[in-house]
Amino acid sequence: MIFRLPTIHSDKNGFENLGELAEAARPLYANRLELNFASCGFFDANMAAPLAAVLARVADKFNTIEVVSVPTQIERILRKNGFLTSYRYPPLDDENHTTVPFIRIQLAAAGRFADYLERHLRGKGIPRMSQGLGKVFKQSLFEVFQNSVTHSGTRLGVFCCGQFFPQLRRLDITIADAGVGIRTKVRQFLGTKISSIEAIRWALSDPNTTKTGKQPGGVGLKFMKDFVALNRGKIQIASRRGFYEFAAGQETFSMMDTDFRGTVVNLEVNTADTQSYVLESDLSPENIF
Amino acid sequence: MPDEISVRVLDIVGGALAVSADDGQAVHDKIAPLLREGKRVIVSFEGVNTIISAFLNAAIGQLYGEFPEEKIRELLLVEHMVPEDLALLKRVVDNSKRYFANRPAFDEAWKEEVGDDEE
Repeated sequence: MIFRLPTIHSDKNGFENLGELAEAARPLYANRLELNFASCGFFDANMAAPLAAVLARVADKFNTIEVVSVPTQIERILRKNGFLTSYRYPPLDDENHTTVPFIRIQLAAAGRFADYLERHLRGKGIPRMSQGLGKVFKQSLFEVFQNSVTHSGTRLGVFCCGQFFPQLRRLDITIADAGVGIRTKVRQFLGTKISSIEAIRWALSDPNTTKTGKQPGGVGLKFMKDFVALNRGKIQIASRRGFYEFAAGQETFSMMDTDFRGTVVNLEVNTADTQSYVLESDLSPENIF
Repeated sequence: MPDEISVRVLDIVGGALAVSADDGQAVHDKIAPLLREGKRVIVSFEGVNTIISAFLNAAIGQLYGEFPEEKIRELLLVEHMVPEDLALLKRVVDNSKRYFANRPAFDEAWKEEVGDDEE
């Protein structure tokens, strides 16, 4: 089959378009998908991560994928971040150092994520960030990644990609999986047929967690949200039919027209932030427990 | 064996990152037997620069399901944690106390999933 990919921005519409691709390719088995970019006017580099999550499901069913007719500008971006090298395109040097490359990390090799951040966050605005901000940002990314490892139930790995916008002083990192999605986990936990939107809302509310058994949970997402509120950054979460965005202090939950089978978290940090993230706290080790 | 034992996180996780639940579990598995023996345990985060909640939930949070709060307060101490990490640990500890206070409800969880369609 041929799928004509439209413009993909890092927004609700972009995730819906990727969901449409997933739905169209779903019946394919031991077949061929031609992903045709001729109608794609723009592609936000970080969206390579959720696109790869969609394509991983397609490839998992013994399908061959060909990426064709990629407009020159988009081809440059997706060769620079390494996404297109999986589809027989040669790599291209990132001479501006604004790319956070595409990577697929299998759950058994989760340690690679630390190496990835160490290598690729350098020089992406973090030296300009205020004291402590780089640390909290990295913590937030590890929280999101660990959530994928713990909750997604995926066999296909975790997909990461990002982009630094030096003029805008924004750095986007996107972490995607082709797992069960937040809705399934919350439904299993609550035993009620909760919608995708309500499932995301539930997961973001204190002190909710779908974790059971010996290890508590439910702090990571809230930690990330508190950080983004202070930093005036942005969070986007797309999972199944739910889309969530938190930016400029405003939360929006909306239902997507298509089903994104998995979970994507895009974290955008404001690298111009001058606030200190070093706490002046009365907490001491003696009054923690 | 001395009554006070220092557990160095860096030696268990093998680096400056405490960012996985598995590593947290390994730290927990060192701490819990010592607390069970009534030893005072000092968990040292010296040389560890990135800590996340999933690690702390496994390493320390789950102790609240195994030991009374008073015993943890009496026997457990952390050191070499910067204030931001202490604040995260406090959040994890408070969350763990709530989590285990509602344990029966959590144990009943994991019901059959109710369908895979949206509505």
